Amino acid sequence: MKPARFEYHRPGSVDEAAALLAELGDEAKILAGGQSLVPMLSLRLAYFDHLIDVSRLDGLRGITADGASLRVGAGTTEAAVGADAGVARAVPLLARATPLIGHFQIRNRGTLGGSIAHADPAAEYPAVALALDAELEAFSASAGRRVIPAAEFFTGLWSTALEPDELLVGVRFPVWTGRCGFAVEEFARRAGDFAIAGVVVALELDGDDRVARAAIGMLGLGSVPLRAPAAEAAAVGQRAGELDAAELGRLAMSGLEDIPADLQGSADYRVRVGAELVARAWVTASVEAAGSDRAGGMAASVGAIDG
Amino acid sequence: MTETATAPPTPTRYTGSRVPRVEDGRLLTGHGTFVDDIQRPGMLHACFVRSPFARALINEIDASAALALPGVRAVFTAADLNPDVHEQWYSSYGPNVPDTPRPPLAVDEVRFVGDPVALVIAENRYIAEDAIELVEVDYEPLTAIADYRDAQTSDILVHPKFPNNVAGSLAGPPPEVVEGAFASAAHIADETFYQQAYAPVPMETRGIVVEWAADNGDVTIWTATQTPHEVRAFGARLLGLEPERVRVLMRDTGGGFGQKVVPMREDMCIMLASRKVPAALKWIEDRRENLMAAGQARHEHGRARMAFAADGTILAAGIEHAQDIGAYPTPWPVGAAAAVGLLFPGPYKVPLATWSTTSVFSNTAGRHAYRGPWQFESVARELLLDIAARDLGLDPVELRRRNMLSRDELPYPNPAGMPPYDHSSPLETFELALRMLDYDAFRAEQAAARAAGRYLGVGTCTYIEPTATGQPYYACEGAVIRIDPSGQVTVIVNGGSAGNSLETTVIQLTADALGVSLDSVDTIQNDTSETPFGAGTAGSRSGSATAGAVAETASVLRAKLAELASARLGVAPQDIVVADGQASVPGTSLAMTYAQIAELAGPGGVEASAEHTAKAPMLWSNATHVCTCEVDVVTGKVTLLRYIVGEDVGPMINPNVVEGQIAGGTVQGIGGALLEHMVYDEDGNPLASTFVDYLLPTTTEVPHIEYGHMEMPAPGPGGHKGAGEGGAIGAPPAVINAVADALSPFGVKITNLPASPAALVALLTEAGH
Repeated sequence: MKPARFEYHRPGSVDEAAALLAELGDEAKILAGGQSLVPMLSLRLAYFDHLIDVSRLDGLRGITADGASLRVGAGTTEAAVGADAGVARAVPLLARATPLIGHFQIRNRGTLGGSIAHADPAAEYPAVALALDAELEAFSASAGRRVIPAAEFFTGLWSTALEPDELLVGVRFPVWTGRCGFAVEEFARRAGDFAIAGVVVALELDGDDRVARAAIGMLGLGSVPLRAPAAEAAAVGQRAGELDAAELGRLAMSGLEDIPADLQGSADYRVRVGAELVARAWVTASVEAAGSDRAGGMAASVGAIDG
Repeated sequence: MTETATAPPTPTRYTGSRVPRVEDGRLLTGHGTFVDDIQRPGMLHACFVRSPFARALINEIDASAALALPGVRAVFTAADLNPDVHEQWYSSYGPNVPDTPRPPLAVDEVRFVGDPVALVIAENRYIAEDAIELVEVDYEPLTAIADYRDAQTSDILVHPKFPNNVAGSLAGPPPEVVEGAFASAAHIADETFYQQAYAPVPMETRGIVVEWAADNGDVTIWTATQTPHEVRAFGARLLGLEPERVRVLMRDTGGGFGQKVVPMREDMCIMLASRKVPAALKWIEDRRENLMAAGQARHEHGRARMAFAADGTILAAGIEHAQDIGAYPTPWPVGAAAAVGLLFPGPYKVPLATWSTTSVFSNTAGRHAYRGPWQFESVARELLLDIAARDLGLDPVELRRRNMLSRDELPYPNPAGMPPYDHSSPLETFELALRMLDYDAFRAEQAAARAAGRYLGVGTCTYIEPTATGQPYYACEGAVIRIDPSGQVTVIVNGGSAGNSLETTVIQLTADALGVSLDSVDTIQNDTSETPFGAGTAGSRSGSATAGAVAETASVLRAKLAELASARLGVAPQDIVVADGQASVPGTSLAMTYAQIAELAGPGGVEASAEHTAKAPMLWSNATHVCTCEVDVVTGKVTLLRYIVGEDVGPMINPNVVEGQIAGGTVQGIGGALLEHMVYDEDGNPLASTFVDYLLPTTTEVPHIEYGHMEMPAPGPGGHKGAGEGGAIGAPPAVINAVADALSPFGVKITNLPASPAALVALLTEAGH
């Protein structure tokens, strides 16, 4: 389990990193936290002639909020995201999903941008980004900065809309205001494992207790992170107290394709688990939204803090 | 919680107390020395080319591209290494058993994915791994036997010399013995249980460094092992050397659990190759190799049956057992399987029993010993008892109470062919563990939870196991004890730091035997050139055997001290009492300290040696495991709630060490019940060769383990009985029974392991839920 030879580059800035990537092309790979890449190199499941280490670039780190959105630099570690009180207030899903990513040693090294750019369909952050319609900021030497909507970002198993010379530099998450509730439900064999299935739910209630907005993101149930449009549509406009969560779960599972089947369970098993998780997450988020009266859009409870 | 059945025979100062482990400082601060820490001048690194096919012919091996890579020193194939084998057999079985094949490198045919085909020697491991990708092996793939359950009826033979793929079968009393009892039984329980393959997965993988001295032909071996003296004996036979020409050293070994009890094929390759290279040769197994090629255990099934009278009294029991031995089991697997049949009746009053066992080859990793290798007897018996109890309308605890042996009923014959059970306390540990749980309160909690739509369960397992057996090889353990003129005591034993704390317990025993303080005793272990013979860590023998060696050596040493003191003090030796760090004459002021006597003896101090030979055929340890859990009936997730072990390993040398052994084994058993699965696809490809897929239990899956101790002494040194293996025996049945109990309202019966969430959901679906 030793990787094949590669040349290691440590650029001093984002511009330098992008220039190297443009120069080296397909033979190069961006190394961020290395929590997925390095094991693949060590198992010789992946070979790259060049690794461009962006893990020490200050320009990729940091969390900033402007009221309507929260921007997380791609190089911000998962541990930093999980420990940030501002993240917990503004984007509770992000904070609550973080403790489910691997183990704390992994979160200390792994980065938000690395997780999203790696695009594992069972990973947590891609599902959160998709559910919240986050904006993904790419940067290249040739085209400069470009914004990719999350709905267009995840193109297949471990593949994204990033061009070969593009680097993910930041992710902008919308901040939901009003009577909102959020929940993350995940089922894995052990704490820290990739989930058999997982669900993130965000919903907003109007003054009449009707669902004004609903976002359901799912992980582990396809070759990419998924939304549940049928379930979302069925919920919007309905009174929260009159919705059948189990039915929403069933709707969320309708029309799924490419459901993984592996050692941990068949596709049918994943559907059973996924439907239940949608129902549980929906109930939790509804209860939270109903109890949330604060204007200014902050969730009633602070998400779990890393560590 | 401790309940002492009988006080230890003699009051002692350290033995029996929770002395902190002397090795902890080294290990917990990262200063342990494992085999990969060994560095030698010019040392070279080995890496194996392994088969990607479960079964294939090897047409040709072309190493030219690999040899052309800078930094590559050699590539060896079977033609280079295998002819150098002089003798190849293990001391515990001797050379005359009908052993299974074990070539160092594969000859003409590969027989499992991971089968070592060639050995690359390079300047470092990176280059070696580059080179193995350049060794071109022309394989001709063949259909493989991926599942041993298909092997006996297959046209394919894993080894041509073994018809029907059977390596051997053994049987106890024939089925006719129990026929009458089954014919007249009021109730019969009859189930076939299947247990998946899983493995010890030591934290430190296998590894070995071998250095051949060109000047005199001596061989030095550093290795991760449970048995340094067996590595020496085996290596000497393999290489055709006198044992004195081979020196084996181990410092710390990061767990063995049976996987490191004897050298395997890769170890042989490194020993053989070391004489063909100009420097020390290191091989460190990586995790993928360990999960793919170090071997598997536990993979077996058996039809288990019991006949009951109307009141639940057991009338007879039987098991027909078959086990997967893979392609290259280590060591000979047939004999050890007898214990499954012999122990199937367990600690119950079973008047009649029958058994048989068959060892079957497959194109998978070879079977090897694993902590309680016979534990399927407990899996089959204890799962069957719970199923029988439900069918009889009895609480499983009540059914056991009606049949379980208590200490007052011992000795009691084992109907399967073992010597009688003795000096143990099955019913007593059972009741102790149930009291710790408050069984009736749990049943009430369970009923309330069920009413609220939550499914809790409780399961038990009671077993009895033979430890520290008196079979010739394992009976022997030597010790040397020396007192320097400074007064410092050194105890030299085989020992070995493989996780079982022999460094600490031998110091406790020696300090007590001589009446000196703990910090005035040091120990030397792990080097065959310095330590007397000891059979090593196997069969839950080390505690008892080392205690025997220390006791007998200390007795010789005390006599020597009395002799030396008598000359100086002018009294007869028999008038001298040697204790508490001095030789004194009672009723007088005449006394000499050990330091003074050692100085008198000369600059080298005074020393004694002796060898202990176990006299009892076995020392019976026993325990009851009780587990409670909650099952999510939608996802199938099992959450363990409480885990209690009531046990009797006799007087404990160090309760911390005993509890550590129980905890480690229990966690491995929990893994086997719920998580760990060394699974192959239908073509024989291993699917769980990294820790992403091979799921070990972690702290988040394992509840706090509670211990209750009883201390019934055995007729061996200090009364101590073996504690190394029991945890891994008791845990799987207790966990599975708890899960089955939780799901009993659905009529679910669990007969296949592991109880994964998907498997439980499949059972629930089948049951209409």
